[in-house]
Amino acid sequence: MKNESTVVERIVTTTESATLSRYWMVSALIGLLFSSVAGLLVSLERIDLSTASIFSTADDVFQFWTAHRVALVLIAVLPLMIGLATAIVPRQVGASRLVFPRMSAFSFWVWLFGALIIIIGFLANGGVGTPEATSETQSVALTLVGVLLAIIGICGASTSVLTTIVAGRAPGISLLNIPAFSWSVLVAGTMWLATLPVLVANTVLVYVDMRGRAPVNFGSEAVVWEQLSWAFTHPQVYLWVLPLLGIVAEIISAAFKNKISNPFLFTAIGLTAAAGFGAYAQTYFDIGTPVFEEAFSIIQAFIAIPAVLLVVAFISPKIKDLKGFDKQTTTPAVLATLSIVLLLHGVVVGAVHVIGPLELATRSTVSAQIVLTLGAGVLACMAAFSWWGELLIGKSISQRKILISGLTFHFGVGIFAVADFLVGFTGQNDFTGVSEFAAGTDGSSWVETLNVISFIGSLLILLGVIAAIATTVQHVLSKTPATGNPWGVDAPEWKSKEKEEVA
Amino acid sequence: MATILPPAPLNRPRTLMVGTAFITSAALMFFGCLFSIYFSIRSDTLAWGMEWFPENAIELVPGGMNMATLSISVATMGWAVYAVKNNDRIHAYLALILTALMGIAMINQTVFYYMDIGLPIDHSEAALLLYVITGAHLVMVGIGVIWLGLLLLRAFGGQDTSRHRDLVSAASIYWYSTVFIYIFIWLFIYIGK
Repeated sequence: MKNESTVVERIVTTTESATLSRYWMVSALIGLLFSSVAGLLVSLERIDLSTASIFSTADDVFQFWTAHRVALVLIAVLPLMIGLATAIVPRQVGASRLVFPRMSAFSFWVWLFGALIIIIGFLANGGVGTPEATSETQSVALTLVGVLLAIIGICGASTSVLTTIVAGRAPGISLLNIPAFSWSVLVAGTMWLATLPVLVANTVLVYVDMRGRAPVNFGSEAVVWEQLSWAFTHPQVYLWVLPLLGIVAEIISAAFKNKISNPFLFTAIGLTAAAGFGAYAQTYFDIGTPVFEEAFSIIQAFIAIPAVLLVVAFISPKIKDLKGFDKQTTTPAVLATLSIVLLLHGVVVGAVHVIGPLELATRSTVSAQIVLTLGAGVLACMAAFSWWGELLIGKSISQRKILISGLTFHFGVGIFAVADFLVGFTGQNDFTGVSEFAAGTDGSSWVETLNVISFIGSLLILLGVIAAIATTVQHVLSKTPATGNPWGVDAPEWKSKEKEEVA
Repeated sequence: MATILPPAPLNRPRTLMVGTAFITSAALMFFGCLFSIYFSIRSDTLAWGMEWFPENAIELVPGGMNMATLSISVATMGWAVYAVKNNDRIHAYLALILTALMGIAMINQTVFYYMDIGLPIDHSEAALLLYVITGAHLVMVGIGVIWLGLLLLRAFGGQDTSRHRDLVSAASIYWYSTVFIYIFIWLFIYIGK
């Protein structure tokens, strides 16, 4: 019987995991662009803290400052990770497709709708409120609806992927024998399902209090961000990028032809996940006594370090053994290594910024930590695109272009983070507003120089993102067919590709 | 002559059950957060010597009735799972209908109580939390009732396969977690106030 469905019908109704994966990743890259532009504008405003430059009020800056973080997590990093998992996980665990393909497709469209609403909400002077409550209440409510929809979409897609790993595996594959990326997705997805509903609860509470009457407390525009911010900062950001450990492990072990021990790696991923659980670090759970606050700080400072060091310590011997390195894998190996380096720096900065006597907990150091960690996640996705690109889009991949995008992005993140980390020691606040008083600095030339360097970092991040989008679009439109198994690795995802081609 | 035995069935976890378990866990975390905020603010409020709920605002009877209704529904849901497992269609229909009716009754009682309570949502943080927690739970019960309705439709449509059995078992996981959450609402909001 002739298939009479239109192109639009096919786009909207597809349940094929590779296609959905492409939808997720392309949409997430556009979200990353939005986030990067917002971050760039905030950096530009910070160059001259003596007066408002490109924004008129501190509340305007706040809108973009929060838009940068919300978009980076909910519209960029998480969807990128889910996009990868949607295509790669079923192949790695020997499933013919995702277990709940329709739910997966539905989740994408719900997320996309939510992401669009979030962007519209921010552009309509809503966002997640402002300190002086000058935002439009209706627009804030709209943004919150967008946040809820985006989270529902992410949770739905995560459930589909997780169930595929747990219940859809091919017979004979035990959980301890699944590839590292699938394991990292299993751990990360489980933790996402444990923490995103907490964010939903916060958002619902704010939304209900905000609608139709004067708010009791939760819905006051000045305190909305305070209630939601835990999801966009240390230590929760480690959870959002957790699959990067799996990506790096897969690429590094293949590049050096030396498999990393599963129990060792899996334990490290689990420990990092435990360290990254940040749902407790919110306004209403502040126990208030100095002893408990100190305890939280110590946990935050030190628990993440052994987990990440464990991974790095295990990977480093392979890096030393350069004789076994397959030069063909230079691009993914370089990007993967740089992403783990960024994550390690993020962990160290995260540990430093909670040390009480340094008084960095509310300084620009926070921004450095967030950008380092989430940037590491984005860079790992670029490495994954370089590694699994043929499986993702079914075309041959130009490694050089991905390497250039990745390196530009990496240097941008590095420059931005170093400048923000250092300027935090001068007392500059995480949110600077539009005056030196609000920024907490004396406006010295030292601070100005660091803020200019930070702006250059933001600019490089944006250029890296634009280059990544251009490269992705070019590959999608390319007519060069996939070569099959470009790395010649003995991995299940490539075998299933070969099987598919034979069929 | 040697007898060739069929291969043993693979002991695989069932996808619907696993998927439902993940979603149910997420729902538990959602309510966990709301309860944590509730206890935290309540503790602060009482520590300052202020009133949490106004005197006699929260009555024990509606909460108790709902708890009793949902407790009975646990038994009827278990009955449905048992009946489907034994291919007993009539009992399965009856048990599913009764469970759905219990859910509807619970929704009805709670909505009636909302109209009767005389505590506006913007009265205090306590009132807002009361409505958000119980309202979110009502939504959860509503989803459960719709799910049971769909199960009944499929069952009446003649679908009674192993997949259908999985659907009933998955629905039961969801339903039990709904009742489990209500235990906390009953204990800490209606009784503990």
